[in-house]
Amino acid sequence: MARGVEPGLGRASALAIAPALCLVDRQPALEHAALIDIATWAGRFTPAISLDPPHAILLEVETCLRLFGGLVPLGQQITRGIEELGFHARLAVAQTPLAARWLARFGAGDDTGQALAARLDPLPLVALADGTPVGPDSLDLLTGTGHVTLGEVRHLPRHGLARRRAQAVTDALDRAYGRVPDPRPWFKPPERYASRLPLPTPSDQVDSLLFATRRLLAGLAGWLDARQAGIERFTLVLEFERNSQAPEAPLEIVLGTLSQDMQRCQLLAREHLNRLPLPAAVDALRLTADEPRPLAPPAGELFQGDDGQPGDAGLLLATLRARLGNQAVRCLASHPDHRPEKAWRWVEPQPPERSRGRQEPPPLPASPRPLWLLPEPRPIPAPPPWTLLAGPERIASGWWDGPEATVRRDYFVARSQDGGLAWVFRDGVAPHCWYLHGHFA
Amino acid sequence: MAASATALSLDHLVWCGDRLATPALPGRPTGHAALDAVLPGGGWPLAALSELLLPRNGIGELGLLLPQLANVPAGRWAACIAPPGLPYAPALAAAGVPLERLLIVQAESPAHARWAARQALDSRSCEVVLLWLADADMGALRRLQLAAEESGTPLILLRPESAAHQPSPAVLRLALSPCRGGLGIRILKRRGPQLAAPLALELPWPGGGTRPDCGPEHPSTATIDPQPSSPSGKHALVRPLPSRSAPPGLHAGAQ
Repeated sequence: MARGVEPGLGRASALAIAPALCLVDRQPALEHAALIDIATWAGRFTPAISLDPPHAILLEVETCLRLFGGLVPLGQQITRGIEELGFHARLAVAQTPLAARWLARFGAGDDTGQALAARLDPLPLVALADGTPVGPDSLDLLTGTGHVTLGEVRHLPRHGLARRRAQAVTDALDRAYGRVPDPRPWFKPPERYASRLPLPTPSDQVDSLLFATRRLLAGLAGWLDARQAGIERFTLVLEFERNSQAPEAPLEIVLGTLSQDMQRCQLLAREHLNRLPLPAAVDALRLTADEPRPLAPPAGELFQGDDGQPGDAGLLLATLRARLGNQAVRCLASHPDHRPEKAWRWVEPQPPERSRGRQEPPPLPASPRPLWLLPEPRPIPAPPPWTLLAGPERIASGWWDGPEATVRRDYFVARSQDGGLAWVFRDGVAPHCWYLHGHFA
Repeated sequence: MAASATALSLDHLVWCGDRLATPALPGRPTGHAALDAVLPGGGWPLAALSELLLPRNGIGELGLLLPQLANVPAGRWAACIAPPGLPYAPALAAAGVPLERLLIVQAESPAHARWAARQALDSRSCEVVLLWLADADMGALRRLQLAAEESGTPLILLRPESAAHQPSPAVLRLALSPCRGGLGIRILKRRGPQLAAPLALELPWPGGGTRPDCGPEHPSTATIDPQPSSPSGKHALVRPLPSRSAPPGLHAGAQ
């Protein structure tokens, strides 16, 4: 711009003026996707949203001013939120949608307090063609007759304009000044959240991926806020550079509980990204989430103290599983089987909020069982008979699981050399070896 | 009336060498009355690191901790981090441990185990955290102690006996040894005078009967081996009462 490159300049001329210019083709599809992203996010402020392509979004805010504490705080929140999403926006407030759009694009600044006509009158004539069917010939006509601002055009005779095939001008002015209604279709936020963010430069640094994730999560937060819903999981897909041939890597991030807390999402995303080996630089990130379920916002407390907080059991589970893997964080459960090594199972831990009503434990054997079980019975020399304190308890059979699972053992409680109690057995089949199978601890 | 009340409160402020310290928070009962009687605060210290030193795994440490694992309210975890073996589910269930609230975390390395313990403490969602850690330097232990203090969660560290000679920031250190009828406990460190003789704690036997080794004395295993300790308990102060947990009146008086 400083060198004189202007809109409307040809490609060759622009390059001649500024050889270092980097030219990027416009991609209307991406622009529209960005518009939808922003509209989805804006659902946290008002339910009445309307897309005004190519570059405007209309929010009906009259009804929610009180909630956000007035126009100024609302405007600040919107500006800040849009910057978190990675965009810049110009806001304008007006009584009619078309006037708001023109003021956002061509308005001089903060003149909200004045009457609508007084704000619209000084706008340049170019505004007439923005978002309306007014053609360039009508603009030429008006410019040719020496008019510069909307205010001057407004006072022209209506039928005179209509006779000169500039009916569209009067229509647009009527809509902008609020003389005729201007209904707009409402935007419906998608049922399933999906957003894609190309990185400015391909990166394999976790920090820059996290930064991009934060932007995606900001959009997700708006979507969830608008629906007053929470999610239990979301998917982050890493798209790698096209020439690296690496397939895209989906990361399923489980939140552990129904939540709309983006801090938590961010924390877990970091754990997952830290664990993931990156085969190549990441080119773009995609975030998808579905199955939103209604979630009441947490009840606030008047005196919020740090002490005595119950803690978030689901978050602990999700954090541990994110870094150590699902296989490393589990719960135990007993299983009805008489063979000691088959009488227990690993089970998936459930966040404790959900595990209401304890199920009845399976019937336990009458004789005591050790608190530690060796994964494999360990052969030991035959213990002297006076160390065997209790027993024998015969545990046998199990043919239904195959010959190697069939057991025939006589279990004893024995005192080990250092005085502890051990659970040992004598194999029922020759050569009647002795094994150590657990510790009573 | 008033004078006796004042005397009582003064009595509380003056610490005598032969008495147990009164921690700011009462301890959580261990479930074994004999052990509660010799611990400051009458139980496992809350919001602090306790250390159990074992000659080997499986001598009775889990039996000692069973009451802690069994008393986990709904919505909270009891975390077992890096256990050296497999806690046996049927025996735990028989002892009344709610298995669905017992979180078993297996860690590849001590660093992972320490990280998991930090997370468990910081989340404040654990009733008790058990951490098996073979070797750790003073800095790591200190960080764990601070994390336990901040979170208000008891952290019980189980380490091999060889660690007894290393300094430790734990407020309570118990050396365990197997003995007839239960567990021999030697208190290496507590906020109070050293215990003269090791404590022989009887552990309940699963099923409610008597332990099979409570029967007639066998000549080869007469009594527990009394570990060498200080001959008298009078002037063996391990650690004075720290200023942090002093009664609030003390500070008021000083200012």
